[in-house]
Amino acid sequence: MIKHTPVIKLPGFSLVVGTIILLSLFLTTPTQASEPNQQTEEYCLSCHSDPGLEITLPSGEVLPLFIDASELQNSVHSPSGIECEACHTNITTYPHPEINYQTQRELSRVYYEACQKCHPTNYSLTLDSMHAQAAEAGNLNAPVCTDCHGSHYIHPPDQPRTLIPSTCGNCHTGIYEVYQTSVHGNALVQESNPDVPVCTTCHGVHNIQDPRTQQFRVDEPDLCASCHANQEMMAKYGLSADVYSVYNLSWHGLDVSVYEARWPTIQHSSAICSDCHGVHDIFKPEDPNSSVHPDNLLVTCQKCHPGVSPNWTDAWTGHYKVSLQRSPFLYYMDQFYTLFTQIILWISIIYVVLQFIRFMVDRVRRSL
Amino acid sequence: MTSQRVPTSSSPNHRIRLVRTFPRFTLSQRWEHAILMLTVAILLLTGLPQKYNTTVWSQVIISSPERLLLLQQIHHITALVLTALALYHLGKTIYLIFLRKLPGDMLPTVQDIRDSIHMWLYLVYLKKEKPAFGKYNFEQKVTYWFLFSSIAGMIISGFLMWFPEFFTRVLPGGVIPTAIITHSTEAVITAIFIVLWHFYHVHFERLNLSIFSGWLNEEDMRTYHTLEYNRLVREPHPKQDTGEGIS
Repeated sequence: MIKHTPVIKLPGFSLVVGTIILLSLFLTTPTQASEPNQQTEEYCLSCHSDPGLEITLPSGEVLPLFIDASELQNSVHSPSGIECEACHTNITTYPHPEINYQTQRELSRVYYEACQKCHPTNYSLTLDSMHAQAAEAGNLNAPVCTDCHGSHYIHPPDQPRTLIPSTCGNCHTGIYEVYQTSVHGNALVQESNPDVPVCTTCHGVHNIQDPRTQQFRVDEPDLCASCHANQEMMAKYGLSADVYSVYNLSWHGLDVSVYEARWPTIQHSSAICSDCHGVHDIFKPEDPNSSVHPDNLLVTCQKCHPGVSPNWTDAWTGHYKVSLQRSPFLYYMDQFYTLFTQIILWISIIYVVLQFIRFMVDRVRRSL
Repeated sequence: MTSQRVPTSSSPNHRIRLVRTFPRFTLSQRWEHAILMLTVAILLLTGLPQKYNTTVWSQVIISSPERLLLLQQIHHITALVLTALALYHLGKTIYLIFLRKLPGDMLPTVQDIRDSIHMWLYLVYLKKEKPAFGKYNFEQKVTYWFLFSSIAGMIISGFLMWFPEFFTRVLPGGVIPTAIITHSTEAVITAIFIVLWHFYHVHFERLNLSIFSGWLNEEDMRTYHTLEYNRLVREPHPKQDTGEGIS
């Protein structure tokens, strides 16, 4: 009886209010979630599917605003539910807010920043690239994500693999043409060879470095070796996988390996793979176009050894181990010295040891 | 042929002991040896770090490209000194041959082969005594001729490696890789040989400094060069009055 107090009413009141607040949350959330993503794209396409839609930028460039709906459906993003406003974050309504890009390039360089929202690793890798350096130095044509990958119609960049060189070739036209004629490029185009290097195999993908540095130079033999020292892969094409190990024993290779290991940034000119074989214009050694074809070898040597006589090319034992078949004189010389060293070493040791024993024994005997 | 030397006596009564010495090497030969020793040491010290470039001790020595360049320059200059020495030695020999005054002591003979067989038998206790030797024993001849041939090989291969572009104008290109193999291997064999063979004989077996002093004492002469000793002491003195012919 005494317990009859108004205090009991208070928890009941707050329960009711709390429940209402909680319910109101339940009420509002589904209404936002129920708006399907697809509707954004459909909504945008209701205008942007008009092929004639375009605006003229202050620079005079015409910016087409047409989006091909079927192409968009084939790209990697749209089917995964990544829609227009994922990238066009500043355009959420119609009428659109005023855009004030002077040029098409300016627009690209602003919009590509959106890529980092989902691809932060690759984005930060590009910041370390030769392309980013070029942009920093003021070259606004230096490529951004969308220049290589596309903007609306993005597909896997390496399907087919031939797509990679042609993408790079959009800007690097001359090199692309040379590459296509090379043993690597030719095999890629003609045979869709899965092993030959494409641009990115050697230069990297997002953090592409300047290939003209000393560091790149001394690392280059290792780069080539990543395929050419691979026994399994080279066997497929009847090539020797010993080229790298034999090169490392040559004077060129010895020099380069010392510099690579210890002074990678110090300028040094000992020949690396590309000095003799070419860079993008590599041919089979038996191809008359090859810089290492027997007819061209002397000229290639003379790039670094000016004025050497035709005998000079024989001083290069090629990427072959010393063998009886290829270089008999050298082979016998090698065999001779291997044997001679052993003989001198053991005769000296045995003779001196015997002499020492006899000497000590005689001495001990005399003292007895 | 012989001379008397009076070493400062350490005995308390200052008793004078006469040591009979035999001249063994001329001043020129002693200088040649000194220069040879020095140049070969420098060449090995500057060459081996380049050959064994992956080792830690080599990397301590060759710590920078400048060091490497310095090492190569020292190697080249020393090589020129050694070449000059070799040419002097050859020139002197040819000159003496021309004058018919070349002593043939260093030339290998059949007796040396017999001596070496004898010595091996002695070392395995099949002979009681060592063979008796002349002015140069077969060990010393082996030392001389081994170093003669290896230095010839080192000089020729060294110049081929130093001026490969020049030499391949005349010679086939294959000489260059051959020179590289020769130079590199020969150097190591020579180093092993000097340390094992030569050092044992001149430092360990007995301390033989005659190449520096030029002379050898009577005891060493009698023990190690018996034949030469006998020849010298029995050689009649040209001005000695033998008493013969006087009636």
